[in-house]
Amino acid sequence: MTGQSTLQIRNVSKRFDLGRGRSVQAVQDISFDVEQNSICVLLGPSGCGKSTVLRMMAGLETPTEGEIVIGGRTVDGPGRDRGMVFQAYTSFDWLSVRKNVEFGMKINGLPASERKDRTAHFIDLVGLTKFADAYPSQLSGGMRQRVAIARTLANGPEVLLMDEPFGALDAETRWLMQELMINVAEQTSTTMVIVTHDLEEAIFLADKIVFLSSHPGRLKEEIVPQFKNGKRIADKEKVVKLDGYSDLEAHLMRLMRQEGRENE
Amino acid sequence: MATNRFFGLRKPVGRRQRLVSAFGIWAVFFGVWIFASSAGLVNDLLVPAPQKVFATTWDLFWERGFASDVMISISRVVGAFAMACAVAVPLGVLMGAFPAIEAVFAPFVSAWRYLPAPSFIPILLMWFGTGEAPKLALLFIGVIFFLITLIMDHTKNVREELVETALTLGAGRSTVVMKVVFPAVLPNIVTAMRQMLAMAWTYLVIAEIVASTTGIGAMMMRARRFLKTDEILSGIIVIGALGLIFDLLFALLHRWAFPYLRKS
Repeated sequence: MTGQSTLQIRNVSKRFDLGRGRSVQAVQDISFDVEQNSICVLLGPSGCGKSTVLRMMAGLETPTEGEIVIGGRTVDGPGRDRGMVFQAYTSFDWLSVRKNVEFGMKINGLPASERKDRTAHFIDLVGLTKFADAYPSQLSGGMRQRVAIARTLANGPEVLLMDEPFGALDAETRWLMQELMINVAEQTSTTMVIVTHDLEEAIFLADKIVFLSSHPGRLKEEIVPQFKNGKRIADKEKVVKLDGYSDLEAHLMRLMRQEGRENE
Repeated sequence: MATNRFFGLRKPVGRRQRLVSAFGIWAVFFGVWIFASSAGLVNDLLVPAPQKVFATTWDLFWERGFASDVMISISRVVGAFAMACAVAVPLGVLMGAFPAIEAVFAPFVSAWRYLPAPSFIPILLMWFGTGEAPKLALLFIGVIFFLITLIMDHTKNVREELVETALTLGAGRSTVVMKVVFPAVLPNIVTAMRQMLAMAWTYLVIAEIVASTTGIGAMMMRARRFLKTDEILSGIIVIGALGLIFDLLFALLHRWAFPYLRKS
């Protein structure tokens, strides 16, 4: 981590118009930075607007107030500098794994030879080399998410945005995918912003946790998991055993529960 | 219960049972028909025996040039249907992808759907005379508005995440439509075409019965004048067989063109 921020969220608010003069405040005056090459986890109860914040980073939603800045430029619509992985499977079913991963580079006009190399590299990175010619419908849910991750990374984004990417996976697959993400982050030096409501996932992945409270979504606390000493450990079992893990988990549980009470 | 094996509530039946059942219902149908005509229960002039109908069909094809009528009918269906698809596919996809285009065409298209195509026959005859044009026009009118609506609806149902994925990979509007929305909806377009082709056959027969000297429908009307019920029934059987063949061709096309939809 360099400490230099790639992404700045500046006093961002989002109000959704529901029609007939009604509207709902989803996000209210949120500011934080995402450091270059770091993994930032947006955590919070449902309704805290964490997905909305992520979608605004992607340019899929526009802030009502405030701005989001990436590499000095204000975000204005989606772009290839911010790749996004969704919770729902987004593999293009009519394309093989290889063609899926190649897709972004192809539409952005990368030369074929470079495309080929990068495609092979990122398919290998997510461990799908054996399935490069398979269609997504022949793959398991976890493998489909790997395709989506490889496809996004191969496009060379400055930031990888992930919206509950492992929410639809079963527990053991989710665990493997979390460990994969640590390895990917180490090997590609990609800045990542990951939305989740899973405390374990947040603690394991995060260099920094941004906790949002709900209705409307506000920034409650920024937490750096100090017990990891600024290191990333790709073995979840080891992380769980570290001193300080359970304290942080208890702290996050308290925050979550507070939210639950306030919303009852 | 002992009856469960062949008669279970919502239990799928085996392949053999399905074949036996399907064969059985037709055997009963022809059995009743043969019995009724051979026992003299029905007027032989109005209900000829099935064997006579099949003999006539054979005779029509090999001795009396019925094949040319059949070819004319097929070319009318295929010609008019191809024209309808050439308009409906691009327009339906664009309407489904761009609400602004839908806003222009949907009010027009949905109104036309409530105008029964055969009601245009008198005016089509006055405009186009008795050549091929009025038949093609009737088929075109009868099919196109439903086809546009079906394709538009299928296009709208392409999952938003696929579109957003493409946007975050750096795709522009036209790339999203050409490279993601269109391939995603294509299998459903082929299914919609398959459904509408069956409707095209219906309009073909109407057109040929009302105003034609050639084609299967015209042959049947000629036969009526000479009280040839066997020829009329032959015509019905040939139309049914052609409908079935075209439906199977579409099913094969679907299988061949979209291998990725098959599991395993």
